[in-house]
Order: sequence, then C-alpha cells, then structure tokens
Amino acid sequence: MADDQDFRSPLKKAKGLGAAHAGVHHWMAQRITALALIPLVVWLVYSIVDLKGASYAEFMAWTASPINAVLMIFFVIASFYHGVLGAQVVVEDYIKCKCLKMTKLIAHKLFFTALAIATIFSILKIAFTAG
Amino acid sequence: MAKFTLPKGSKVKKGKRVDATHKDSTNTKSFKVYRWDPEDETNPRLDEYVLDLDDCGPMVLDALIHIKDNVDSSLTFRRSCREGICGSCAMNIDGRNTLACLKPINEVKSDVKITPLPHMPVVKDLVPDLSHAYAQYESIEPWMKTDSPAPTRERLQSQTDAQMLNGNDGKGPAACILCFCCTTSCPSYWWNPEKFMGPAVLLNAWRWITDTRDEATDERLDQLEDPFKLYRCHTIMNCTNSCPKDLNPAQSISEIKKLMAERHS
Ligand code: SF4
Ligand code: SF4
Ligand code: FES
Repeated sequence: MADDQDFRSPLKKAKGLGAAHAGVHHWMAQRITALALIPLVVWLVYSIVDLKGASYAEFMAWTASPINAVLMIFFVIASFYHGVLGAQVVVEDYIKCKCLKMTKLIAHKLFFTALAIATIFSILKIAFTAG
Repeated sequence: MAKFTLPKGSKVKKGKRVDATHKDSTNTKSFKVYRWDPEDETNPRLDEYVLDLDDCGPMVLDALIHIKDNVDSSLTFRRSCREGICGSCAMNIDGRNTLACLKPINEVKSDVKITPLPHMPVVKDLVPDLSHAYAQYESIEPWMKTDSPAPTRERLQSQTDAQMLNGNDGKGPAACILCFCCTTSCPSYWWNPEKFMGPAVLLNAWRWITDTRDEATDERLDQLEDPFKLYRCHTIMNCTNSCPKDLNPAQSISEIKKLMAERHS
C-alpha cells in the first residue's frame, strides 16, 4: 500500500482542529463600522462637494475646525478598521498556503494601522497648527 | 491562491452523439450528459443523447432512466424515490443544482445539459462523492441531546415551537432532504470546503439549535463559533436560490449568527 495513502476517516477530517471560539467579534465589528460609515460618508461627500473650488487655506481651515477634525478622525478609524476586516476575509477566503496567509494577514494589518496612524497624525497636525 | 480553472485531467471534452429518435419523431430533445469513468484514464466528456420525448416521462430523471434502460446502460446516476424526498438525484441541470426528478424537461428551453453537483469529487458520471459533506453533517451531531431524565411519554412541544422546525408552510429547516444542492452551489464552500460547514449542514445545525426539546444549544453554538465553520458564509444567497425544496438555508445561517451575537451582548 502506498505510504501516502490517507487513512484518516471523513469524520476526523470534517472535525479538523475544532472551533476557534472566535469570529463573533469580527462579525459585529464589521457591522458596527459599516453602520458608522453610512452617516460619515454622507457627511464627507457633502463637505467635499461644498468645498468645491475652495482655496488651500480654506481647506486647511475647514479641516482645523474641531467638529470636522473629530469627524474626519472618526471616519479614518471606521473606514480603515472596516477595510482591515474586509481584507482579512478576502485573504482567508482565497489564500490556501498557510504561511503566505499568515504573512499577508499580519502584513496588511500592520500596513493599514500605520496608514491610519499617519492619516490621523496629519489631521491632528493641521488641527493644531492651522487656522 | 484559489484555483479558478480546472486541472488538465478534468477538462470536459466532446463525447459521442447517440440519436435515439425514430423516423417519425416530432418531439425531440437533446441531452448533453457528463460522463467520466475512473477506470479509463481519459478526461471527462459530454455525451449527447437525442431522445423522442414521447418515449419518456416529463422529468429530467425520466429521460435519464430512459437513456439507461434503452440507449446506454453504462450511464451512472443516483436516484431512489423519484418524487423529491430522498435527495439522491441532485445534479446540475441547465446550470442550476436541482433534483432531476422534480425538474420538468420542458422548463429547459435549449439542449438539456446535465453535470454532477459542482465542486465535489466525482465517483462516476453523475454520481458525486459526498463523504466529506456527510461527515460534516455527522460532526454537528444531528440528533436530540438532553441531560434531563427521559420522560415516560414523548417530549412535548407547543405548536409555536414545532413551527420553528416545520415553518408555517412546511418549509422550515426540518424539511431538508440533504440533497446538498445548496452546499455545492455556495462559492464560499467551493473555496473552503475543508473548514466551512456549508449551508446544508448549517441549516441542519439550526434545526437542532432551535428545537425546544434539545438541551445542547450551548454546546452546538460552541462548536460553530469559528471564523470558518460558520462565518465563511458571506450571505451570497446562492444556497436559498438553489434549494429544490424552497427552503431558506441563508436565513437559518443568519439566525445562528444572531444567536452568536446575542450571547456576546
Ligand atoms: S448565504 Fe452563505 S451559505 Fe448560502 S450561498 Fe451564500 S455564502 Fe453560501
Ligand atoms: S437545504 Fe435544500 S438544497 Fe440544501 S440540502 Fe436541504 S433540501 Fe437540499
Ligand atoms: S429520486 Fe429522490 S429526490 Fe429525486
């Protein structure tokens, strides 16, 4: 009999490593961020349209106003968080190779986090220096 | 990465054409049937059988039986009840997973293309190997589990409780015939069959979770709380679309997700 023959029963394979007892948090966070993004996107689109033709200084002044800066940071956190969760699902769905999957999951989390921090830093910098 | 094309040995080639009509046939239809035999080391092929529909019954299964009995006895497929209750004759007809015994031939406008349920390994011709899906079903322990001492009579349920299983219209989760049309139509299952339970098994998990007589709800939820076993379902709804019994696996799955959220809040 060939050495590589698979003698594991179908039930053994179906049970696999068992349940991770996780996933609820991901699912809820995805929905909560989506919910938060609905009004935030409306607000952002409205504001950008409203700022059409504005000068650089006007743009900076707009960003520096406390309400806009806070909402903007809220938008950045919600959208990046939502993006990370979504990207994680895509990676888990399609990438089979275990180590590639792990690398991608860690890399994109770090990447998105760095990007979010940089964006928030920029907003704060404008908020605290401009206007 | 996920594979989006068939491996070389699985590419379907053109097969033979058998004309089983008569000189005076008027009511003819062509059936293109997937054929593969593990014993000859060739690629699968699509054989074409042209039938006189007056020779056979109205359903696609009748045509297959007619082919096997009168045209080509080597054609292999599963069937038992021929009335949509055993789930054996599930296959892909005209691009949709369904039961051959419930699918009227005249619903298919062009040639009738028949292939096995997608994604599963093929045993022969139209017979898929469902061992893994059955094992996944076994893994959710689809039987009543209780800790309270067994009553001396039957375990009672109110009518409302029973409706959770049967539905108001008889289309509740207890009506599932385990044909796996839904599971094999689910893209999430195609990508992650090892770990994702798939709609058929999740609908049946829900059938036991929502059974008021069962006392293992906690355990059942524990066993499903997993990014892959349950949460690979992205509510694509193919499952509900394909169920030949008009059940709603997608809804059962979202009920499970709701309970999961509930026990965390
Ligand atoms: S709703 Fe879920 S189980 Fe049904 S087809 Fe979509 S992903 Fe698959
Ligand atoms: S839910 Fe419908 S399609 Fe899925 S296994 Fe049950 S009867 Fe078949
Ligand atoms: S033969 Fe039983 S469901 Fe079709």
